[in-house]
Amino acid sequence: MAKVQVLNVAVLDNPSPFGNPFQFEITFECMEDLPEDLEWKIIYVGSAESEEYDQVLDSVLVGPVPAGRHMFVFQADAPNTGLIPESDAVGVTVVLITCTYRGQEFIRIGYYVNNEYTDPELRENPPLKPDYTQLLRNILASNPRVTRFHINWEGSADKMEDCENVDPSPNISGMLPPSCIPGKMPPLGLMPDNSMDCM
Amino acid sequence: MKLLKPSWVSHNGKPIFSVDIHPDGTKFATGGQGEDSGKVMIWNMAPVLRDEDEKNENIPKMLCQMDNHLACVNCVRWSNNGLYLASGGDDKLVMVWKRAAFIGPSTVFGSSSKLANVEQWRCVTILRNHTGDVMDVAWSPHDVWLASCSVDNTIVIWNARKFPEMVTCLRGHTGLVKGLTWDPVGKYVASQADDHSLRVWRTMDWQMEANITKPFSECGGTTHVLRLSWSPDGQYLVSAHAMNNSGPTAQIVERGGWKTNMDFVGHRKAVTVVKFNPKIFKKKQKNGSAPKPGCPYCCCAVGSKDRSLSVWLTSLKRPLVVIHDLFDKSIMDISWTLTGLGMLVCSMDGTVAYLDFSLDELGDPLNEEEKNSIHQNIYGKSLAITSTEAQLSTTIIENPEMLKYQQERQSSAQLGPSSAGPEASAPKLNSVMNGESLEDIRKNLLKKQVETRTPDGRRRITPLCIAQLDTGDFSPALFNSAPILPSGSSMSNQLTSQLSSDSSPGPASSLGLRPGHDPMLTSPPAGAATKGPEDNKDGAKSGLLLTSASKIEPMKALDSRFTERSKATPGVTATISSIAGLVPLDRPKDGGGVSAPKDVKAKDDTSSDSEDKMASINKNLSFSKRKPELLMDGDGVVEKRKKGRPRKDKMAAPMAQPFMQMTPPAEREPSRVAAPPAALKLPTPSIKKAFSLQVSMEPSVFLEVENEVSLIAGSKLSQLRCSRDGRDWNTLLPSSVVTAAGSSDVLAVACQDRMLSVFSSCGRRLLPAIQLATPASALHCSAHFVMALTAGATLSVWDVHKQKALVKNESLLSILSGADTTVSQSLLTQQGVPVIGLSNGKCYCFSSSLETWTLIADKGDSMVQCADFRSCLPTHDAPVSSGPLAVMQGRNLNAGRLASRLSSTPHHLQQSMTLAFLENQLASALTLQSAQEYRYWLLIYARFLVNEGSEHRLRELCQELLGPVHKSAATAWEPTTLGLRKRELLREVLPVIVENLRFQRLFTEYQDQLELLRNK
Repeated sequence: MAKVQVLNVAVLDNPSPFGNPFQFEITFECMEDLPEDLEWKIIYVGSAESEEYDQVLDSVLVGPVPAGRHMFVFQADAPNTGLIPESDAVGVTVVLITCTYRGQEFIRIGYYVNNEYTDPELRENPPLKPDYTQLLRNILASNPRVTRFHINWEGSADKMEDCENVDPSPNISGMLPPSCIPGKMPPLGLMPDNSMDCM
Repeated sequence: MKLLKPSWVSHNGKPIFSVDIHPDGTKFATGGQGEDSGKVMIWNMAPVLRDEDEKNENIPKMLCQMDNHLACVNCVRWSNNGLYLASGGDDKLVMVWKRAAFIGPSTVFGSSSKLANVEQWRCVTILRNHTGDVMDVAWSPHDVWLASCSVDNTIVIWNARKFPEMVTCLRGHTGLVKGLTWDPVGKYVASQADDHSLRVWRTMDWQMEANITKPFSECGGTTHVLRLSWSPDGQYLVSAHAMNNSGPTAQIVERGGWKTNMDFVGHRKAVTVVKFNPKIFKKKQKNGSAPKPGCPYCCCAVGSKDRSLSVWLTSLKRPLVVIHDLFDKSIMDISWTLTGLGMLVCSMDGTVAYLDFSLDELGDPLNEEEKNSIHQNIYGKSLAITSTEAQLSTTIIENPEMLKYQQERQSSAQLGPSSAGPEASAPKLNSVMNGESLEDIRKNLLKKQVETRTPDGRRRITPLCIAQLDTGDFSPALFNSAPILPSGSSMSNQLTSQLSSDSSPGPASSLGLRPGHDPMLTSPPAGAATKGPEDNKDGAKSGLLLTSASKIEPMKALDSRFTERSKATPGVTATISSIAGLVPLDRPKDGGGVSAPKDVKAKDDTSSDSEDKMASINKNLSFSKRKPELLMDGDGVVEKRKKGRPRKDKMAAPMAQPFMQMTPPAEREPSRVAAPPAALKLPTPSIKKAFSLQVSMEPSVFLEVENEVSLIAGSKLSQLRCSRDGRDWNTLLPSSVVTAAGSSDVLAVACQDRMLSVFSSCGRRLLPAIQLATPASALHCSAHFVMALTAGATLSVWDVHKQKALVKNESLLSILSGADTTVSQSLLTQQGVPVIGLSNGKCYCFSSSLETWTLIADKGDSMVQCADFRSCLPTHDAPVSSGPLAVMQGRNLNAGRLASRLSSTPHHLQQSMTLAFLENQLASALTLQSAQEYRYWLLIYARFLVNEGSEHRLRELCQELLGPVHKSAATAWEPTTLGLRKRELLREVLPVIVENLRFQRLFTEYQDQLELLRNK
């Protein structure tokens, strides 16, 4: 029984230029007073190929959290373009919002993000080196992917139970991969290391 | 008898361990196994009862489901009043649920499931004490206690009035306790356990009354539950699983002597559950036949592991009906409707059956009155009517006045809920917190939310609490905050758009992204992203469906990210925290640098904003304030102003300059010297060459001051000009006017030479110039009172009509403790009571009758913050916001702000704090002579006393308001307070008292005396 339920996440300032900070307005409900803070993170997946390129854009503590319904805006700066593989700058990627309590992640909210040139000229002939100033970031706000994890709310991470996943929803048809811009595909067969070690 | 198996009542095929019908018969709860947790579901009864309702798609079947139990739910039970649902499960917990009234239908965020919860039931308290699975829970008659039993061999009695308080833990069983039942008159509670015993416990001292073992000694094997039951007349207790001559039985235990002479025989396997019909029946009168005084009897249903159900009448030797093969597995629980004619049965096989009986089959049910009289005959009045409020509903109302109030209340109560039925739309969203709508809050949330840095340099956001949980009686709620719906605001738009995006192209379509509404794609990937190996397969499949398989690849890779706990997560946390204050590695270089100052700036902005506001409120003279007033008053005033003073500003300016320079410093010096060199010097307003202010709105009175207008023989004069309802007057003063104030009756100006002049509204000088000891710091007029606060921190108030001092040079020294405390606000009430607000959040008024400073508000007072009187707020009266008390406490009255944190605070502490707070408010309103506020708080106070049942205080209050009935010279009783007639106030308090029937004697007493006095 999770003590914290995320009720809604509103994606603010979307779509917006690539360099704008991410803003998520998060509404959650807490069943009882939490003695410790919640830790929220925004993780930008720089490349589908490897977790290596994941960037934690920011991490905040949220507290104190008494029983009740709360909201806050989590703002984090845009990803460091220097850490994104050039081939992955344009196209579809993912931004994740995670929340941990006592060091245990209990919810993960994922959004598809489409980075695209606004200028049709650039869209037709994208420059070899991505021009981040011309990129528009669009978060597919209507389709959050929510994964909940059972954690031990009373104790700490070392007593963590199994990592049994909760299926985000019985109907995830809305989360099918959108078609992407052709030509920006990573080579076939290059599976990310972590794709098999799902729980 | 009719039999029905509603197939839609199911936990997805998982076993249903418990079923209970709500006392009002409109819904029922089931408990059992969920996907990977325990599950409690609440269902609509109507589709079970009526075929057409079952077919009507607009009538919801499932009302709510709760997955909060970590493990299988073994028992669900409604409280007798129907407000609460208790559930116990294998997770060792008992949860108590209450319906959240103000929250509309909702889904789970991120799931596109259409199965919205129609009703919102929230866990209001979790009872933890058991160290093993909780097998059964039971509410005592009148919901005084809740009992729970567990495989830890104990029974815990909880105080249902003050969850999670534990009354006692009953120890004695040596095996798993699997069933509980309360004696209907509340004298005993009985339990049955695997240790081959049935024990009866007294509620008086919680000791064991009887230990019955004989019928159970043969019991081999066991059953999942042993739900025993007590007959509604209290005479018989019927056990689950007992043995008689190697045959399974349900043992009947007689109340008198706990004799075990009878049993229900016939089941082939162990009896798991026995449930008495809540009604007592008497034989159906046949048409035409003479009424025979038949002996009343009870009806009992028995469910067994042999999958069959039998229904017995205590008047018959054979069962009324036996139903075999109703289920595929053992019967787990039975629940009767309160009418006694319907019954729900659930089974381990995950299905539920409904049985409908007719009066012909069961007999005529006795009504409550007859049932009560049976109880009284058997047990006497003392037992039958326990001193609880629930019982009060049957209390006879002794006074016709009382009855009238009761009826009025009932009719208004009926009006209310009719419009707010379960399907009725949730109350319109006027979610306003401290005058702000949720929309406003959302707009400024980023700026407004409090962000701090922890000692190790990490960002910490204090979330904005937008609604407390609707936890009703159990935990105090936040005062002043309206419950907020997730729907109704733009949030709901988001929710709906999330839902609708399944079937219609979402906003993403405009982007060239293809949301998954393609029919080709909808089916295969269900669950694709969550499970690793499947992921690959499904991914490949859906890949084939797409024109190019390669297209899917990055997405599939991305998909896995949604569901995995990030490996990087903990590691990165460490980095961030260790490089406190530095730019995090992952961030863009300018990121850290920019965000920090931004935060600081934002904070500065808000703080300076609020200071500005304060300043403009404090200084009545500020020009900035003038502007909005002009706008408010419309064009006429502006024009008039222009006419009245043709650009003198400009003319005065060049002239004033030289004078300012010429002003001999010596002139100001004396005033400074004269001022005592005390450290507590209050600031004085600076001299402006011209200013104006509006002193009163109705009639509209404007005051304009021009300093140093004309030069006569080297001396300068100041002009005071007043416009009242279009009529002007002006007068000249010898010295520059520093500050001015006025009311509809009087005007006062303080000059640079420390002279205070008072004029009537028509410009007549009312008092000779008053010499102040030190320059004026603030000046206020109200009605015919003038208040001057000097720089030397002394306060004077004069009554201009009576030409008398109310407060004479009273020093603020006693309240200005601490070096940096200053006066932040001052005002004068219409009754001439001076009020001083200090920068430390305290607020004092000077009581001229007590001749002392009295504290009327303190922002830092934890008592105020903890007080919770939300339930006592009048429903129709708007809160008094204009009185001096409200002005001083103002929006800062954060009463109850901490209340939500105090959910663990014992109720009596909360009660005392609230009481203390309310009494403070009353006393403050009295000192401030603010009649309206006094009345307002008096009624809240009275309501609180009534709710909390504080009879002594209530009586004293009534006595004070009533005064002596017979006049005598010796009494010092004043018939009025603050101009309000005390007996009128009592007349207003009396209807409040009616709300608690317990006080009907008190009500009658004072009602009679009031009548007596009126007739005199």
